Amino acid sequence: MLVLTRRSGESVMIGDTVVITVLEARGDVIRLGIQAPRDVQVHREEVYRELQASNREAASPTQDEVRAVSKMLHSPTTSD
Amino acid sequence: MTTRTASRTIEDTMIDPSLGLPTITMAVPMPGFPAHREFVLVRLNEDGLLYAFTSTEDPDLRFLVAPPEPFFPDYAPEIEADVFAALNTKDADRLLLLTVITAGANETTANLMAPIVVDRDSMRAMQVVLSGSGYPVRAVLNPVY
Repeated sequence: MLVLTRRSGESVMIGDTVVITVLEARGDVIRLGIQAPRDVQVHREEVYRELQASNREAASPTQDEVRAVSKMLHSPTTSD
Repeated sequence: MTTRTASRTIEDTMIDPSLGLPTITMAVPMPGFPAHREFVLVRLNEDGLLYAFTSTEDPDLRFLVAPPEPFFPDYAPEIEADVFAALNTKDADRLLLLTVITAGANETTANLMAPIVVDRDSMRAMQVVLSGSGYPVRAVLNPVY
């Protein structure tokens, strides 16, 4: 891992288009400002990881699972 | 009026011959699936409540998705302007919101934190992360009665 020391108001650049600025450092809380192009998504890591895990779990359900969900979401007249 | 005419043209040109359904392009890939950019929406029941968001590059990859309204009537996510920009949205009324469903052995859940937003005119989509909204990634889905 690359380690850089920055003061408040200073930035680092990632590639040509992503700029991360340290806005404020107070104790162990650091506020960052991030400038990135639209197609670069910026997320808190834990949120991204949770979403990634949830998407992987949701991906490609089995036929039985599809049938079960379809039945569940069907209007009541057709269920059971 | 002009929007409607334009949308018809775009949809006509984006029909995928193999499935006969319009191709939806991800403006940003779904987290966990960086290589999958093109999908079609296959309807799975007559009620129009369940769809398979299916990759055209890899038909084995599909997500069960549903419009959230019937199941979560209070769900009203705020879509930020940068999403409109990424989807080339001209008319916010043309956005379609779909929630990703995880079918589990014990319970079925819906991802309310990150809906897939589709612009029906540009046919571009992205999974929008509603960070700070407090919406859960796994909301238990109950049958509609």
